[in-house]
Formats: sequence, C-alpha cells, structure tokens
Amino acid sequence: MVIDDSRAMRLILRRIVSGLNFDVVEAGNGREAMDRLAELDAVPELALIDWNMPEMNGLEFVTAVRADKKYRGMTLMMVTTESEHGQIVRALAAGAHEYVIKPFTPDAIVDKLVMLGLIPDGAHA
Amino acid sequence: MSATMAPTGDDLQQIAEQVWASYLDTDGEKPLVPLPPDKLSRDVVAGVAVSGAWHGLVLVSCSTAASKEAAAALLGMGADEVTVGDIDDALGELANVIGGNVKSLLPEPCTLGLPEVHNNADNDPWLEGDEICRFEATWMGEPMEVSVLEKPQGGETA
Repeated sequence: MVIDDSRAMRLILRRIVSGLNFDVVEAGNGREAMDRLAELDAVPELALIDWNMPEMNGLEFVTAVRADKKYRGMTLMMVTTESEHGQIVRALAAGAHEYVIKPFTPDAIVDKLVMLGLIPDGAHA
Repeated sequence: MSATMAPTGDDLQQIAEQVWASYLDTDGEKPLVPLPPDKLSRDVVAGVAVSGAWHGLVLVSCSTAASKEAAAALLGMGADEVTVGDIDDALGELANVIGGNVKSLLPEPCTLGLPEVHNNADNDPWLEGDEICRFEATWMGEPMEVSVLEKPQGGETA
C-alpha cells in the first residue's frame, strides 16, 4: 500500500514496488488508507507512508494501524521529508518499522525492503 | 534567526540537485544547471509554509514550460498531455521535498504545511517576506529558482 497525498510520489513509489512484484493499492491520506484497508480481503504486507497529508497524517495512520490487532502483520515504512531525529524517533515509537527520507533513490527503498526481509537480497538486481 | 541556523544558497543548490537527481534527472540527461537564467520567471510558484520556531516559506518558482516538463517527468507522461492539476501536484511535491530538507536546517521545532501552487505570482501577497537565500538555475533551457522567505513571527505564512 502506498499512502501519499501527491499523485506523482505515489506513482514513483508504485513503479519501484511493482518492479519487486508487489501488487499496489494507493491512498491519498491516512483516512483513505484506513478505509481501503477495511475493504481489502487481505492485509497488505507493506505500507509506504508519507507524513504530511491532509485529513489524517502518516503518524496518525501508524498509530491507528498499530492499535488494531488485525493489522499486526503489516510492515510500516515512513517515506517522508521529515528528517529531524525527534520525528524519526516519534514515528518508530508509534510503531513504524523503517524510515526513508525524501528525496530517495529506488535503491534506498530496495535496501530497506531487503533489510526488513520482505524481498531477498539480489532479487532486484 | 541566528546566522548559524540560516540556510544558504549553497544549501539550496545541494538540496535541489539531490531532488533533481532522484526524481527529474534520474538518467543524468537533464541536469539542473546552476547558472542564473537569462530571465527569472514566476509563472508558477509552489511553496510550503514553515511555522514554529521560524516562520516563512520555501518556494520553487519556474516558467510554465519548465513546470510542464517537471510534471511530465514526475508523472511519466508527455509535456503536451500535462494538465493544471498535474502541475499543481508535481510542483507541490517538489516544494514539499525541498521544503522538508530546508526545514532540517532551521531552528527546531518547526512544522511543514501542505504545499500550495500559485500562478503568475509576481504581485502575490503570499510571497511577501524577507528573502534569506536563493538558488537560481536553468533546467532544459528554462528558468528555475529555489528560495527561502522569512516572514515576521506570527505573520501570515500560508
């Protein structure tokens, strides 16, 4: 699942993870993402989450997902411009597994997914 | 603002070049050239407000032609297919990414607003403020500018 209020950024992230054989569902903010989650038959394996979004921001989304046991298996990765140490700590404390700062390269996303065990090392080469 | 906390034109250049390399010039064929363009343009101005310990705007300004090329590159379409909505989305995201990186150079704590995009913004009151720094460049033969404006504390930022 790719959650970002920018269509351009959703497209960039979609291209990267589609290339890694993930099926992608998109949402424009945290509220829309919660609605999409409720509609899906299976819990997504991974969510790439922007921080600054209207209606429900990324931190609020992470907090809401972590409060619901049925989403326990979902890996949450913040993909955001928020680069201050305190913000990273807040996101990780709320339940995010990883943190990528924009601008990023495709390799940065791939490396994090390898580190999280979501794709095998070398699968993307 | 203390001098040690102020972003500089060199900071803006470094941030802008990273953003271009990541999103607009991934194959190295359309670099952002750090040369002042012949003529600056504010046909399209995308910005994000920063508020908190510091108040102001981080702006990306360019010509209409450059805004179309940027949207086309980000959205994977031809420049002739680009709509106003595409430009708002793409330029807004560029301002958001650049603004987030500039925010890390400003006093803490600050928060970043959501991006806004204004057209033909030469006399736009939104753009009133004291310019702290600027990076002027040429991209695909078109003017491109990144700047930071400081607003009086408590003043309108968005």
